Amino acid sequence: MKNKQYSVKVFETTIDDEKAFKMFFDKNDILFKEYLILINGDMSTDIADYLQEKSLNFIHNVDLPTGRLRQEPSNKNEKERCLSLQEELKALEIENGVNQQIAQTQMQKVQSEIKVLSEKLANNLTVVDEIIRSGRELKIEGDLLLLNRVNSGATIHTTGNLIITQVVEGALRCDGNFMMITVSPKANIIFNGVVVDNELLENKLNRIELKEREIFITPVIKKEINWA
Amino acid sequence: MGIVIAVISGKGGVGKTTATANLGLGIAMYGKKCIVVDFDIGQRNLDMILGLENRVVYDLVQVMDGEASVRQAVIKSKANDNLHFLAASQTKDKGVLNSEKVKVLVESLKETYEYVILDSPAGIESGFEHTIEFADTAIVIVNPEVSSIRDADRAIGILDAKSQRVKEGEEVRKLLIVNRISAEMVQNGEMLKSEDILDILNITLLGKVPEDKGVIDASNQGKPVILNEKSIAGEAYIRISKRLCGEDIPMKDIESPQTGVFRKFTGMFR
Repeated sequence: MKNKQYSVKVFETTIDDEKAFKMFFDKNDILFKEYLILINGDMSTDIADYLQEKSLNFIHNVDLPTGRLRQEPSNKNEKERCLSLQEELKALEIENGVNQQIAQTQMQKVQSEIKVLSEKLANNLTVVDEIIRSGRELKIEGDLLLLNRVNSGATIHTTGNLIITQVVEGALRCDGNFMMITVSPKANIIFNGVVVDNELLENKLNRIELKEREIFITPVIKKEINWA
Repeated sequence: MGIVIAVISGKGGVGKTTATANLGLGIAMYGKKCIVVDFDIGQRNLDMILGLENRVVYDLVQVMDGEASVRQAVIKSKANDNLHFLAASQTKDKGVLNSEKVKVLVESLKETYEYVILDSPAGIESGFEHTIEFADTAIVIVNPEVSSIRDADRAIGILDAKSQRVKEGEEVRKLLIVNRISAEMVQNGEMLKSEDILDILNITLLGKVPEDKGVIDASNQGKPVILNEKSIAGEAYIRISKRLCGEDIPMKDIESPQTGVFRKFTGMFR
């Protein structure tokens, strides 16, 4: 048996207006070459033929496993902006039929802005592999993966998620959606403005999450795995 | 060209000056030409520990200002001809140092001596920064206690940021000496183990020095403890000096009950 695993980007949409839908893909088909288009609701054979002709990959009314949506507070504005821009784009599509020329220039502007924003959202992970010594203050916009120790007297701020694979003895200030921290009795952790009690971090690797204004701490790895 | 070693700790009173004196003497006893320089301007101590306080005529600041030549200011140790000493100024403030002057002095000492050991002041102020700026190697002294380790960690961080070698894209060698280890307290779990300290600081271990009451008396008399053959701290400094001179000496376990002095005594009375 040969297996492969990979992730694809899915563009999920419904068809309200076939004309507007086609017009959108006439303009943007090049952007969706590597996407899987998921169409919910009704779809006519006309549209299916149209998408095949454009050689776009699509599926119809399939229940895909939903990935966790990333929602960092810092990116909220950008995300909302991104979404509202997409809405705007749709509105412009419809308007396009009425006033094609004006809409076209505006559309190009909006498209480039969407591209910049979505790239920014995709590339906000920082990976650091150095010991964070006392007196150092590390400020990270976005997510941080830290592969080394945080010593007593050091401080780490992240606006996004935080994963640390080694012992933490310094201070952590994380405003992201979740943190993963090893057992760290000496750490000083403030997660989204709330002090996290170190005694709750009793497992080898702990996951701290903010779900609907409540903080949950769950074990990821319970104890040292003994392979012998 | 000699190598420049800065002895640093961050926290005061952990044994920087004692270690500097003993390592300088240890290297000299090994047959290498060595100079120890006291960079603790305004609070000099190294002259007393080496027993040379009444020989000081010119000091480091006078040499840097051109008032005296290196040859005039350098003092030869009573204990070993290979060891020379350059005193700090007791009257001036550490603000008188500047990078250019320190560089000229260190470069000129490197030409004459195989080992140039700089005794850094405590803290992380300008005096400390000048000591580490042109060093090839830093020896970090810690005591097995949390405050000493945190301060040393901070000092290493500054070393990594401000050293001239690092700015030129090279690396400063960082070596650790754990000083004043009490086997009894380590066994009772009251003192940090050196492995734990190494985990935190993540630098190379150069040696472990056991707690030894003889050190204070040796310092008071101006005869570094390395000269006392019966002293366990002296033995440790001999091993460390040999390692610094490139010999491969295995690390002695001074934290286990077999070698701990305390256990030997209790064993006797049982």
